[in-house]
This record gives sequence, structure tokens and C-alpha cells, in this order.
Amino acid sequence: MSEREVLVEVSGVSKTYRDHVAVHALRDVSFTLDRGEFAAVVGPSGSGKTTLLNVIGALDVPDAGVIRIAGHELTATPRDQLADFRLRRLGFVFQAYNLFPVLTVLENLEFVAVLQGVKPADRRRRARELLEAVGLAELADKRPAELSGGEQQRVAVLRAIMTEPDLVLADEPTANLDSENAAILLDMMEQMNREKGITFLFSTHDPRVMERARKLIRLRDGRVE
Amino acid sequence: MRLFLAMAWRNVWRHRRRSVLTVMTIALGLAFNIFMRALGDGFHEQMVDNSVRAHIGHIQIHRAGYHDDPAITKTLPELDKIRSAIDALPGVRGASLRVLGDGLASSAENSAGVSIIGVDPEREPTVTTIHRAVVRGRYLERGRRKPCLIGERLAKTLQVDVGDSLVLLVQGADGSMGGEKYRVDGVFRSGAPELDRGVVYLLAEDAQELFVLPGRFTEAVILLDSSRRVDEAARILEEQLAGVEAEVLPWYVVEPYIQQFIELDDAFFYVIVLILFIVISVGILNTILMSVFERVREFGVMMSLGMKPRQVVRLVVMEAFLLGAVGVVFGGLLGSALTLYFEAVGMDFGAWAEGAAALGLTTTVTYPKLTAANLILSNSSVLLVVVLVALYPALHAARLEPVEAMRHV
Repeated sequence: MSEREVLVEVSGVSKTYRDHVAVHALRDVSFTLDRGEFAAVVGPSGSGKTTLLNVIGALDVPDAGVIRIAGHELTATPRDQLADFRLRRLGFVFQAYNLFPVLTVLENLEFVAVLQGVKPADRRRRARELLEAVGLAELADKRPAELSGGEQQRVAVLRAIMTEPDLVLADEPTANLDSENAAILLDMMEQMNREKGITFLFSTHDPRVMERARKLIRLRDGRVE
Repeated sequence: MRLFLAMAWRNVWRHRRRSVLTVMTIALGLAFNIFMRALGDGFHEQMVDNSVRAHIGHIQIHRAGYHDDPAITKTLPELDKIRSAIDALPGVRGASLRVLGDGLASSAENSAGVSIIGVDPEREPTVTTIHRAVVRGRYLERGRRKPCLIGERLAKTLQVDVGDSLVLLVQGADGSMGGEKYRVDGVFRSGAPELDRGVVYLLAEDAQELFVLPGRFTEAVILLDSSRRVDEAARILEEQLAGVEAEVLPWYVVEPYIQQFIELDDAFFYVIVLILFIVISVGILNTILMSVFERVREFGVMMSLGMKPRQVVRLVVMEAFLLGAVGVVFGGLLGSALTLYFEAVGMDFGAWAEGAAALGLTTTVTYPKLTAANLILSNSSVLLVVVLVALYPALHAARLEPVEAMRHV
């Protein structure tokens, strides 16, 4: 049996949005996630799933609590360094795919590698390898508008793992997909998780994702159940 | 970097019609700027050239202090040294010595205060064009008895014409009052009002006799083969004439009003350019702002993926720069073509002939002059304006919070 390594540690995290009224999105949330997990944060709409993914993804800052990823304490990291942390340690998959429409599929995959300063030949080779591994090589020179929703989301997943991050955060990745495409996407992410050991954390209320996840973190009204 | 360049270029053309309109605004503004600058340069050069060729030459040499306080007794010292210095000066197209003084010209009908210029009739045409300005009679010739050449307006004032006589009354260098009768051999029209209404040309030896200045001259005037060499030539002459009690004056010191007019004209031009740039800036700002507002969500995704604010600024500025560069290419070509066309055929401002004459222009046709400095300055200033204007929307994009930006619809 392989040795467990805690990759994500969330301890006592709270987040309140204050607009006209105070909305307690997260209340004293604590849990851990091991490296290599295929996990999902589940719960009804408004339960705090997206907020939790945002604070783990260094896109938002909690009001209280501590978040550590691979030993790096996010809550103690200056805001201007969080962009660099996201770039080097995290991958993101969004519900609406969010590929860059003016770039080809290949260039979309290269985007983050360019930000990381990877050499052109290296990043192109890696992008092509990934596309071939999931059978999307023929889409390399197409623009996102020429792809189906399922194809776009698969490319978005490849973009997220392009630079081999510690953790991929996927916010409702199957919400806009039909059953067939959702299954293909989940197969692909499971393949990446299994073969490359990439850790995935989803936010979802899609039963198809919940069935596949090996760990579920249930949220209700901002608390872990 | 190449990926971002490609991204910026494609972003520019996402809204083709809007970008084309912006490019046209930039191009037309730049073309107008290049053309107006060239027109100004050509006009100024022509003005300087006309004044230089009408009378003042590129460089004048006098006895020290003559320019500030002219006096008949202040004649050129050490003529041999001055002649040698001029002979040794490179790039001299022509040089002439003159005797200068003031007096009263009287005819049977009228009289007028005049400047009297004694010239060498063979040397003077190497410097000025006065010999070509004769409209009646003939230019000065040695061997004819006491000839003089007067301006058309002066001839009208004195009611004299070719063949008539006039008397010049002057105070000589020795303080004595003297007068002499001269025969009008020619009447000229230079286009320069001060010459046409107030100058009498004599043979140098007749002027020396009139002013009691035997063998003496007041002024040496030099024409160079290029007006760009004036400062260098003046410096060389000053070095050559060190120790000689003489002053070496470039044309813009002799006639400072020309330089002042050019500076004033430039100032007006810059005001026009400023207004033009404000109009261009508003167009570019509008385009870039719209482009940023339409892509708020996209910027949010970029920053979520780890793009830093300074990289966002760079991307937006790069887009503006590319938009500006396309405008500069078209504007530069259009402005250059327009300018080169009118540089070849000229622009006739006949309707403003009076005003042109007042500025020392002998022709109403102006030739714009396209210079490398004009192209470099116009193109680079437009690009600079584009980049500066783009900074505001770029900074706006860079300050977006990724989470909020991604919620943007």
C-alpha cells in the first residue's frame, strides 16, 4: 500500500460576503485531500461549493482559517504572489470551458506554458502528446468555435494539466454537457488521474460525477456535513 | 511572446469593422499631419530661400557692431583677410561686396527716403536674384554713366521710369552733405516690399564716391550651396577672422523676423497637431475600452490561470500598438504619396498673393517638402499617443479581480 501524502489541508476556513446583507458562504470548513485523489465537493446550489474552490484555488481569500497546498500556506501568501502560485501549482477547468476564442486548440494548451516560460519546442511537443493521448490530435489547428461543447471541455482539461500541476480544480465541469460527452470527459479525467497521478477536486451537483468520485465532501449552508 | 503577439493581432481583428474605422482615423490623421508638416517645411524653406536670394544671402560680414548700430563710417576692416577667408570657405556658391548707406531720392515730382546699395554688377548676381527681377530697362552695367536700378513701387512714388533722372542726397563718411544725379537704367520687382519701395542700387564705385568711401565696402555677403551649412560656415569664418574686427552673421540674425515667424507658425502647427491627436486619442480610447469591456470574462480566465497584471497590461498595449502600427503604415504611405505629389506639382495659393508678398515670397506656388525627420517624428508620435492612450484601459483590465471578472456576462 502506497504512503499517503496530504496535498490539500483546509482548516477552519470561513468566508462571508458582505453586500447589503451578510452571506456566510463558508463556515469553519475543514478537511484534507491526499495527493492522487479524485474528489468532489457536492451540495445544493448556494451551499458554498464554488466559494470553496475559489479559496482553494487562490482566487479568493478566506476571512478566517488556513489553507495549505503541498505544504504551501496560501492564507499567508501575499496577494500579488498568488497569481504565480496558481500558475505553477494549480490547473483550472470551468463550467463554461473558457477557451480563448482567438487561439487554436494547440495554442490554448500552450498558453499557460508560455506564461511559465517553457521553451516553444518543448511546450508544443507536450501539447501534441496530450492531444494524441486523448485522441484529439486532429483538432490541434481548429479554433474553439469549430469544436463541440464536449470537445471544448476536453481541451480545457488538457489545458489544466498541461503544466502538470499539483491539483486540478474543476467547477461544475459537466454542467453544460450531455450524458455521452460527460462520460467521455470523466473517463478522460479518470485516465489522467490513474496514469499520471493528477489530483482532481470537482465542485458538482451532477450525480454522474458523484458516482465516479472516490471521495465526497458534502457541503450544506457553508458547512461540511 | 510570439503566442501573445499572435493573440494580440487576432484580438485586434475580432471586430473588423471597428478596427478598420480606427485604423482609418489614425491613417487619415497621420497623413494630414505629415502633409501639413511638409507644407510648413516647404513654405519655411521657400521663405528663407526667397529672403536669402532676394538680398540678405546666407551669411553677412560687417565691421563689428554694424548690425546693432549701422553707420556709414563702419566699413569692413582688413578686406584682404576677409576675401581670403571667403575664398577658402568650402561650399560657397557666390560672394559679393556692397556699400550701404541711406539717403533721400528726389525726382522732379517727389522725394523718398531710400537705402542705397552699391554693388559689383558682375558679383552680385552670384548671390542674389535682383538682376532677374528687372521688369523694365536693364540691370546695372559698368561703362554706363551713373546708372541706377530702382524698385517698381519707388519708381511709382517718385513718378520716374527708365531713362529718367533722380538725385540722391546723402551724408558722406566725412560728414559732408553731398548729392549726385543718376539715370534710371532699370526698374525691378523683387516681390519683397522693402526692396521694391525703398532701395536704390548703384555701381559700387559710384556709391563709394557718393558716400566718400574710396575703396571701402560696408558688407560682404555670401551664398552657400546649402542652407543647412550656414552654422558650420559661420563658425569657420569666425575662426578664420579671429583678430579681425568683424562680425559674421547668419541670415537668421540679420533678419530675425523670418525665424520668429517660422517659430510662431510651428507653434500654430503644434496646436493643430494637438487637436488632431486628441481626436485620434478619443477614437483609439473608445476602441480599446470597448475591446476590454467585451473581454472582461476572458481577462478573468487569463488571470485565474496565472497571468500577472503586468502581462495583461502588456497584452492590451500590444493590441493598441498593432492597431496603431497598421494605421501608421497606411497613414505614412498616404501622407508621403500626397506630399510627394504636391512636392512635384506645387500648390498655388494665388488667392493669398498679398499675404505671401508680405512674407517675402516671390511666388504664390508653395512646394511641400517631405523630410525623414517629419516621417520619423509623425509616425513615432502617433504610435506613442496610441500606446499612452491604451494604458488606461490596460490598467483597468489589469486591476480586475479574477473571480468577479469571470462572473461578468
